[in-house]
Amino acid sequence: MLTKKITRQELLIIAASRQIQNGDVSILGIGLPIIAGAVAKKTHAPEAVLMMESGICDFEPRVLPMHVADASATRGYGYATDLFSVFSTITYAGYLDKAFLGVGQIDKFGNINTSYLGTPPGAPRISAAGGAPEFYAYAKKTILTMKGGQFVEKLPYLTSPGYLGGGSQREDSGRYTPGSGPSVLLTSKGIFKFDEETREMYLAALFPGVCVDTVKADVPWDLKIADTLESFPVPTDEEIRALREFSPRASFPSPVAVQLVFENFKRKIAAKKAARKAG
Amino acid sequence: MAANNGSKVMTTKEAISRFVNDGDSLITGNYNESMPMSLLFEIIRQKKRGLTYYSQSGSFDGEFMAFSGCMEKMISAFVYKWGGSTRGGIIEQYQRAGKIQVEDYTNFTYNARLAAGAFGYSCLPVLPAIMDSDVFKIRGFMGDKKFGVITCPFTGKQTPVVPAANPDVCVLHVQRADKFGNAQHWGGLGSTVHACLASRKIIVSCEELVEPDIIKSSPHHTIVPGFRVSAVIEEPFGCHPFEIVGFRGLDTAMFSLINQAFKIDGGLDVFFDEWIYGLPDRSAYIQHYIEVFGQDMLNRYNARSYYSAPANYGIPFQSGWDINGISNDLGVDMEGLEKLIEERGELVDVN
Repeated sequence: MLTKKITRQELLIIAASRQIQNGDVSILGIGLPIIAGAVAKKTHAPEAVLMMESGICDFEPRVLPMHVADASATRGYGYATDLFSVFSTITYAGYLDKAFLGVGQIDKFGNINTSYLGTPPGAPRISAAGGAPEFYAYAKKTILTMKGGQFVEKLPYLTSPGYLGGGSQREDSGRYTPGSGPSVLLTSKGIFKFDEETREMYLAALFPGVCVDTVKADVPWDLKIADTLESFPVPTDEEIRALREFSPRASFPSPVAVQLVFENFKRKIAAKKAARKAG
Repeated sequence: MAANNGSKVMTTKEAISRFVNDGDSLITGNYNESMPMSLLFEIIRQKKRGLTYYSQSGSFDGEFMAFSGCMEKMISAFVYKWGGSTRGGIIEQYQRAGKIQVEDYTNFTYNARLAAGAFGYSCLPVLPAIMDSDVFKIRGFMGDKKFGVITCPFTGKQTPVVPAANPDVCVLHVQRADKFGNAQHWGGLGSTVHACLASRKIIVSCEELVEPDIIKSSPHHTIVPGFRVSAVIEEPFGCHPFEIVGFRGLDTAMFSLINQAFKIDGGLDVFFDEWIYGLPDRSAYIQHYIEVFGQDMLNRYNARSYYSAPANYGIPFQSGWDINGISNDLGVDMEGLEKLIEERGELVDVN
């Protein structure tokens, strides 16, 4: 049950967290996925095996890691391996249940660009490939999250293949784990899924307070809408508490969080100064 | 999804009957040391048949698997004649008589097949000199699929490749494991890690079943993560008469008894009846050892401890909150955070 007031950011994190089932072997990237994993492990999925691609496997999230080899994740973890092993013995060999990937640009079949907004070397950069193409290809399921990204008709650069041209193209190529691919895309406007036959993205649930037209305005193709829209998952107090205990700043949009952290440090420094003066 | 909800602890009998089937390919995870003898004895007792057995190293495990009738095919890189030069080994006798088929690899190419299997690859390049060896040229039951040759796209050179091996079951003995199957082992690892990770099911016996906290404070010793393991058995002396670092050395008394059994007519039948078929499990085996050799003899092989220095996994912040319940990032307590969320957060109405 939910009695607390919550924010849009919290709602999105809990929606992502619900994607992890107890016992799932999951690879988590920095930011939202780690927070979602931390909440899942503290609530409905205590035996989830959380991993980061540096080789930190089966870790206990304590504080928000700043990068995928962050020392804070190495207090009390089960299996010290390395990046090559994570991609080969765990991912390609078929033992990775869930991957979480962030999206820069996405097309209607879930193909993703996280590299360039055009053709290099002249094009502006988004970031780069990182671990995304291989995790996306070989995790049994992938959960996509998009904050401030874009839906596009045609990607200027395809970093991580999704359902390619749709239909059975991904399966037929023989290059991917059978049954793999994006299962959902979570954004601050809704939850999107992919049609079982055509593999085209459709709107499955609306974020509270958002209407279909607002979603459609972001999408350059004629977005299909589920016959019956699902309702967006409602967090419980337990989930919200787990989230806030793990990362209180995650409840705010990131510019606000940065500002709040800065204000806290300013207060601390001012208090030190005042104490010195008084002393 | 990996079957990792809760405990996988069971008995050796249960693990072998649940996870080893007739016709399976089976591999010993251990390489020369800490051989998983308790698990292998149980496979023999349960009379599994038609197994393809992978064993790299010429210990008597392979001889036992042949003599027991469990093994139909073998993949190996080293075969020792336990019966001596005149009597010969069991594997040798059975191979020559056509009772079993053996495929020979080298230590490196044997391990490369497991590495390929562990990585999920279909094949792996190996070192080119093997192409001039009869190990490459003479093919047993693997036939055309024993080795392949590809052209390196970068050098243009002919490069031999081996096919991935993915045994159905790996049997492994380790120092310690937790109930989830996280298995920790140290010592002469040989091809152990690849043998385990290449296999579809992994059965782990351990000297000590420990709390998960022990594993989580020493993750660098974990060679197999729990989510890959099907069964865990606490089985002290599970590798006897082989050694296991930190517990005991190789039991030369028992080894000489086994050596004798190989070298006299009917010796192995007597040994199997007395030490395998005649005893229900490992604790009965050790009890029987004590009756035959005495407790003193068993104690003679106990390890004298020599501890590895602990690795410090310390970090500054155990959570994002200080001891007074104040957030390190935001400088407020939980109540203060709720207020901050109302003032500065983007509230959403979910009802």
